Amino acid sequence: MAVEKAQRLLNLIIGLSSTRHRLTRDQIRDTIEGYEPLPYGADDEERRKAEASFERMFERDKKELRELGVPIETIEDPVHGDEIGYRIRPAEAAMPALDLTAAELAVVSIATDYWRGAVLGGDARQTVMKLASSAEHGPRVELPFAALPAVANDAFGALVEAVADRQSVRFEYSSVSSGAGTRTIDPWRVVLRAGIAYVIGFDRDREEPRTFRIQRIGGKVRPVGDPGAYAIPKDIPLGALAESGDVATARVALRPESGHALRRRGTPVGAENGWELYDVDYAHGDALVAEVLALAGGARIVRPATLADAVVKAATAALEVERG
Amino acid sequence: MAEQATDRLVRMLGILTYVERHGDTPFSELAEHFGVSVAQVRSDINALWVASEPGDSWLPIDFSADAFDQDIASLVRNDGVTQVRLSPREAVALVGALSTMRGAGALPDAGTHLLEKLREALSEPVTVVGDDHVGAEIREPLVEAIDRYRRVEIEYVDAMDRRSTRVVDPHRLVVIDGHAYLECFCRRAQDYRVLRLDRIASATVLDGAIEHPPTDSAGFSLTPAFRATVTVGRSGRYAVEDMPGVVIEDADDAVVATFDVVDAAFVAGRLLAVAPHLRAVAPRRLADALERQAKAVLDVQR
Repeated sequence: MAVEKAQRLLNLIIGLSSTRHRLTRDQIRDTIEGYEPLPYGADDEERRKAEASFERMFERDKKELRELGVPIETIEDPVHGDEIGYRIRPAEAAMPALDLTAAELAVVSIATDYWRGAVLGGDARQTVMKLASSAEHGPRVELPFAALPAVANDAFGALVEAVADRQSVRFEYSSVSSGAGTRTIDPWRVVLRAGIAYVIGFDRDREEPRTFRIQRIGGKVRPVGDPGAYAIPKDIPLGALAESGDVATARVALRPESGHALRRRGTPVGAENGWELYDVDYAHGDALVAEVLALAGGARIVRPATLADAVVKAATAALEVERG
Repeated sequence: MAEQATDRLVRMLGILTYVERHGDTPFSELAEHFGVSVAQVRSDINALWVASEPGDSWLPIDFSADAFDQDIASLVRNDGVTQVRLSPREAVALVGALSTMRGAGALPDAGTHLLEKLREALSEPVTVVGDDHVGAEIREPLVEAIDRYRRVEIEYVDAMDRRSTRVVDPHRLVVIDGHAYLECFCRRAQDYRVLRLDRIASATVLDGAIEHPPTDSAGFSLTPAFRATVTVGRSGRYAVEDMPGVVIEDADDAVVATFDVVDAAFVAGRLLAVAPHLRAVAPRRLADALERQAKAVLDVQR
């Protein structure tokens, strides 16, 4: 009877982990249970067929194990010519001992819901299963918390893997400032901010670090060149994504019973002609201007003048818009 | 449908690691812990048992046959086979989701410990910035009320800047797209509501018990009043990207976005922020709301 696939994959992990140096493809085929050794006394035709069938099976197994998180190393050995060998370093492949409580395992389930579909897909249950191996057994914990799937596309997962492999990628990107175009980058890091995913990387054409909003990537993220092709800098510039250290203070005037969010963040500094005055710290002027505009006359900016002008400019422009 | 091979492999390694860590374990406990039948556990252990090293008859994993006959997994030998680590995708997804939930203000206490353990083990696989600044003084009374099935009185400031005090039957905290919401039944509206946590100004647990059970169909059930079509220059694209049900088409140096509008005044407020890049707004209803708000702003700001 043919050895079942899960069994074959387990044997492959054990084989590649226990080898002293490496296993070549021939060694894998001939010694790991689950693969078919070359038939004894086979002619050239049978030999080619068996080779091709083994190649397909092994390539698929290798890909699935890598996707699972098993780091299969490729090792070239100058002594043995150009034949490639493989191995797994057990210490790098093993799940660290996390010793989770039953409640912590329940949180894992909630967290994997957040990405179900786009990023983890069916693998979400594998994630839970992996962590269940180092969790205590206890009554199922019901938590009054939940996470609904976030908007994410296939590009997210591909970029995460590219960062892990340090492999350049190319994709179509629709930029706010410069329109649609093809970008080639060395991805450095995936960043999440308020539920929105970005990737920071070195833009090869512009020759400087850039930040891309992953949602704006259209189509496939294609790998370019070999893994391990570049080094990721220690300090990655977060740019506009940073919780800005440069905070300025604006004075806003609020109508009574309006601007509650601004009141919560600000400091009251008095009243004037029916307006209540607050000093509010801000990192991004645009965001404060947008907030004041949305209050539709319930607030105005006293200073700085640049922000007050921006409010006037936006409201004036709104009167020029073509009406459908 | 046949089970995926990698699903089974991960569970087999899970069972092995679990038994190695916890000692002799009845099949029934393993079945419960890994969510499969006892027969499946037996079959998984058999598969582990016959796993072989290349080229010889050495079996790296051995169980006690006597214990096996009594439906107990008792490990005699394990030559270094363990559960595999999280893949980069899994690590980013897990730490990313937990950090996002924390930033949104809806991470259970157990989640904080979990996040610490994962960060230590995984060396920070993703950067998460942003924080809705939902304090413990809001989150804790809500969680307590949910746990004890008590009503809660909250002060709430809605997206239109209207402040209200309401009594709600709280059900659970949900994170959606990076922000946390309270699912509840609002007694004033006599309907199910989803309230953003960072707009709750205060929360007080009341003595009365909740009367309305959670519902699966509630949540974001606001009915859109109409669909809007807005043409905006590329620089203003961000303002329409997150609108509900949005479809964006590129048109030269601008984009045409169509999306659902629940409250024209709220959408007009968002559009004002990108007014210098706005080209056309339809229907009339939305354009009128935009004009009204722009005039109201100019009345006070000039």
